[in-house]
Amino acid sequence: MDNSKKVRRFGFLRTRKQREISFSVGMLLPALIFLAALIGYPLVKVIHDAFYNVNLLTSTSAGFAGLGNFRKVIADPNFYPALRHTIVWTLVSVVGEYVLGLGSAILLNKKVKGRAFFRMAIFIPWLVPIIVAGMTWSWMLNPDYGVINYFLTHLGIIKEPINFLGDTHYALGTTIFVNIWRSFPYYTISLLAALQAIPDDLYEAASIDGAGKFNQFLHVTLPQLRSVSLVIVFIHLIWTSINFDFIWVLTQGGPNYATETLPLMIYRYSMQKFDVGAASSLSTMMLLGMSLLFVFYYKFKSKISEETIS
Amino acid sequence: MKKKGGIGTYILLTLISIYCVFPFLWMLISSLKPLDEIRTKVPHFVINHPTFTNFTKVLFDAGFTKYIRNSLIVSVAACLLSLLIAVCAGYVFSRYFRLRVVKYSNFFMLVSQMIPGVLLLIPLYLTMKMFGILESYLSLILAYTTFVIPLCTFMMSSFFDTVPIALEEAAELDGYNKLQTLFKIILPISIPSLISTALYAFINAWNEFMFGYVFISSEDYRTLTPAIMLFKGANTVDWGSLMAASVIAIVPVTLIFLLLQRYFLAGLSNGSVKG
Repeated sequence: MDNSKKVRRFGFLRTRKQREISFSVGMLLPALIFLAALIGYPLVKVIHDAFYNVNLLTSTSAGFAGLGNFRKVIADPNFYPALRHTIVWTLVSVVGEYVLGLGSAILLNKKVKGRAFFRMAIFIPWLVPIIVAGMTWSWMLNPDYGVINYFLTHLGIIKEPINFLGDTHYALGTTIFVNIWRSFPYYTISLLAALQAIPDDLYEAASIDGAGKFNQFLHVTLPQLRSVSLVIVFIHLIWTSINFDFIWVLTQGGPNYATETLPLMIYRYSMQKFDVGAASSLSTMMLLGMSLLFVFYYKFKSKISEETIS
Repeated sequence: MKKKGGIGTYILLTLISIYCVFPFLWMLISSLKPLDEIRTKVPHFVINHPTFTNFTKVLFDAGFTKYIRNSLIVSVAACLLSLLIAVCAGYVFSRYFRLRVVKYSNFFMLVSQMIPGVLLLIPLYLTMKMFGILESYLSLILAYTTFVIPLCTFMMSSFFDTVPIALEEAAELDGYNKLQTLFKIILPISIPSLISTALYAFINAWNEFMFGYVFISSEDYRTLTPAIMLFKGANTVDWGSLMAASVIAIVPVTLIFLLLQRYFLAGLSNGSVKG
């Protein structure tokens, strides 16, 4: 009697578990098929094509190229400038976005009237298509009729109108400025949520210990924001470094390649020169760079969670 | 004890808000100006002769009604498809996270979330070409759906985590199977997070530029964002019409957001913190 009950219970468990597995697989299947077909397969293909001579127009001539594509890309006179632009574009954007995002989140976390209004106003740039953001800023920055040049000359800050997007000295800085405008609201929202989650007694304890405002910020606020900051900074390092739309809309990589970054080079190789091999090898190099970034991120993250636990 | 914001706080917040909102204001003003008021050395805030010619020109002469329709079709389809997929996968992530197959899928999804579309541009293009779906809505719908699946799934699963299991056990006793439980019991109480997930997917598809620019070259299927870019290439000087096109492109997202922002912001921070 005892035995049979046991058997029955185990038998029940096993079928239940099997049922759970088949249910889970069935429910996950659509998602997995999509990801495998449109991310997994293309990923394998990119890495494969990086080592072959593939041309978009004559896709039959696919000989093994070894590292030939990689050499070709690195020897491209635009490669090092583009790499440098990508790094500057990414780092300056992310730092600017973080500072502005944190600043606005701290302001919004105070007791202010009309917080909902301010929050909405600040969030709007993030909502609109990049193409629209780029278009509007190109219009405002226009050297002939642009409102920004008018303000700046009128206020006596500059003497002559500047062709912000058409001058090699200003183009990269201007695109970064516009990118910060569009991206920082995401930081504001995430950091604001994290700030609101910090318990008040931490501040009370700190002020009893005699910590001033600045020290409270340094020793209470910043440590509490560490893990959220890590996540958003990491995501944005990737999103920014691979961004194609913004620069394409504002300058198309010009003037004279002054704003050309690696994603634009990938686009040019594939859609203008039809050299799939070269484009794939550049993609592969970027993937490698991102994986390295991910390793750093992962190490940092585990270090932070260890410290939080201990 | 939250500190009360002083006058400095208000000044700074106002400045930041102006920085954020001014471009839209200027866009709107410019779109309503006739040509001779656009091209002047001294830009004015006041429009002497406001006109809708820019809008009618863009909508009817430049074919933007068609592009809007295309964008709507693609975005709504991608939004519904990704919502359905994310609900199924998110539910399993939340309830059966102990199963090995679920753990692997979760990891797979995390990794795919990290892989940017631009690096996969060429093989995606070739895959779409192979299936013969370049120059169609389908190519865009599939691409947009795929790239939002991970985040949407994480958003849904972190919501399902908050739904008490007791509810499902009760439904099971009533003789519901799992699918019925999910669709008849759980989804009706998940409307807010369904809204925020759907919004994310919709806005993402509506705003996307690169795939629309690369996959579609025929006017019949062109969506709004590439259309604006191409319109600029053809009419560099016609800033009034360009601004009118921009206003048209942001109207739906802004309206949706203003009406539903509560859901949207909460869902977004859930998904991103978890992912």
